Amino acid sequence: MADNTLQNNKANQTLGEMLAERGVSRRSFLKFASYTASIMALPATAATAIADGLAKARRQSVIWLSFQECTGCTESITRASSPSIEDLIFDFISLDYHHTLQNASGHAAEAAREQAMEENKGEYLVVVDGSIPLANPGYSTIAGISNRQMFEDTVAHAKAIIAVGSCATFGGIPAANPNPTGAVAVSELTDKPVINISGCPPIPEAMTGTIAYLLSFADIPELDHLGRPKAFFGEAIHDRCYRRPFYEKGMFAKSFDDEGARQGWCLYEVGCKGPVTYNACATLKWNGGVSFPIQSGHGCLGCSEPGFWDLGGFYKPLSTAKDDALKYAAGAAVAGAAIGAASAVAVRSKRDKVMKAAAAAAATPAEETK
Amino acid sequence: MHSNGAPCQTENITGMARSIVAEVARMLESLATDGTTSSIDLRSLPLTEADRQQLEELLGRGEVTAELEVSGRSSVWETAYAGAWWIRHRGAGDKISSEEIAVCPVPGILVTHAADIEAAALRIKQEILENHPSQAEATNG
Amino acid sequence: MELLEFARGPALTFAITVFIAGIFFRIASLVFMWRSKDSSQGSRRERPVVIAALKEIARRMWPLSAYKERTLFTLINGYVFHIGLAIIVFLLLPHILFFQDLTGLYWGHLPNNVIYAVSIVTLISLIAALVMRMSNPAQRIISTFDDYFSWFVTFLPVLTGIIATTHLGARYETLLALHILSVALLLVYLPFGKLMHFFLVFVTRSQTGAHLNHRGAQL
Repeated sequence: MADNTLQNNKANQTLGEMLAERGVSRRSFLKFASYTASIMALPATAATAIADGLAKARRQSVIWLSFQECTGCTESITRASSPSIEDLIFDFISLDYHHTLQNASGHAAEAAREQAMEENKGEYLVVVDGSIPLANPGYSTIAGISNRQMFEDTVAHAKAIIAVGSCATFGGIPAANPNPTGAVAVSELTDKPVINISGCPPIPEAMTGTIAYLLSFADIPELDHLGRPKAFFGEAIHDRCYRRPFYEKGMFAKSFDDEGARQGWCLYEVGCKGPVTYNACATLKWNGGVSFPIQSGHGCLGCSEPGFWDLGGFYKPLSTAKDDALKYAAGAAVAGAAIGAASAVAVRSKRDKVMKAAAAAAATPAEETK
Repeated sequence: MHSNGAPCQTENITGMARSIVAEVARMLESLATDGTTSSIDLRSLPLTEADRQQLEELLGRGEVTAELEVSGRSSVWETAYAGAWWIRHRGAGDKISSEEIAVCPVPGILVTHAADIEAAALRIKQEILENHPSQAEATNG
Repeated sequence: MELLEFARGPALTFAITVFIAGIFFRIASLVFMWRSKDSSQGSRRERPVVIAALKEIARRMWPLSAYKERTLFTLINGYVFHIGLAIIVFLLLPHILFFQDLTGLYWGHLPNNVIYAVSIVTLISLIAALVMRMSNPAQRIISTFDDYFSWFVTFLPVLTGIIATTHLGARYETLLALHILSVALLLVYLPFGKLMHFFLVFVTRSQTGAHLNHRGAQL
């Protein structure tokens, strides 16, 4: 701070200084840090490090790009609730561009994005929701700029990229078969590291926790093979599901209104994708820990996994064939039987010939000896 | 999270509480011998509602209880075993956002941070002495 | 996830198609096979052919006392893994759901924990069967590729199934995919080797029974 001139004093303020002016004490940082450490399954002692890191950090410029999306991810991260510790993250970031949330519109909105990119070159964070269509640039544009163009321009000088939601991370519903727009995930269009926070929508804590981690440690958290933070996507829903004991005991709901469903038994039989879905729904839950789909009586759809729309049906049990495995069965049966019969007949006729020849030979032994 | 467990999660006591107490005992021992502070994040453990209640009862309440208004409510109390503190933070909708048992002389959240003291020193002058000099003089006179 | 999609999709469709074609191929070629005409009058002791067939099926369930000592372990071991396999295949809920999806039929299942226990026993029993085959010099000499490969394609789904349910070594979707692929391999091979006895065991015994009966053997 000592070498700062008065003009850029404000811009270079640390979060600690900035929020102190607004009456937010360091205790709030510590409380937020405890909360973050807890949801990210960091040791409780990491809270102090997070609090210090955040207090010393500068307010993070964030440019949020929305492409082929439904705004569900934004709904998730801005879920309505009283101002509380969970929302402190919004004081830590400066959301400089988000075409749904910002006041500015038209040219002014795009000018805000360009200004943020210019002022925070190499320092800003790009958050993307929605997939990007490659089949035709005209399929999705913002201010006359194609999604791909805007993405490439914006990430060129970004510090880090976070893809939120299953569309940005894996293509999502726009990329579902037959993918009419040629939609692709964010990671396919850049060589820069992308942090994927999948889900339809993602759990808000997974988004805010990851951003908080980036701010306090100036580093990306440990990721899985799909680029997702292990803290949130390290375990399968099935492994942390409170209904798991029913699975082991073989107690299953067979429909959504039978006795098993009322007793809260395992939903495997009605198509739950929990065993192959990695997300924190069973532990963090939704709406501030109120519930999650399985607790509300519906199987997991697998929304945080690649290609979840095309897994063969939400209500089809995981152990069944994805497609109609018997579609060639009739043909196969007929063909198999025909070949079998034909080969048997061929053997018979060959045998008949041999026998006839042998009989003929036996009938004229004299000729043979000649 | 803790207050909203599913029905079957809340019913039974699994024995987790006793294992946590054993852990707290070890932590207290090391705080006593070489001053090592440590803590347990209760939220990350597979505790049922019944387990949590049992743990709270086992550890009991000690001499100090503090209620904090820090971006929502927080409660901190020393358990019946001095040096073992229960810290419960509440977030949106007054739901528990994080909860831990800290083994230390004073939990960090209770200690006033140097930056806050510095800010307070400035603020007290600005808000009381500089903004209302006449009042100050009047009382002096 | 892509591997699981492949396994549940194209791989399974292909395997089931080949399986069905293979079964029909084998049955058709047996039905239309040339048979020598037995013009003999038959024994005076000949009984109705159905009774002879059933008696032969039953008789071969247990060895003659002369062979009992020598073959008892093989026999019991054989029963263990055959019954074990039947329990695993037909009484584990995910498997029943698989059959239900294909056929519409649905039946009761056992708790998963019971199936785990059965599958461990089955696995050990299958290993014992292989050890027996390889350690007995005479059996080793007469063993063919079909014997070993049939064992392999039977053993593999049991092994991968256990690994998948216990989540050992890799992520569940990968393990589940490997399990389904191992089943696909089994399905593709089944009609073309000795595993065809799954369909033919009682047919061949009936045939033997009928033949012996005609000759007047006391069954």
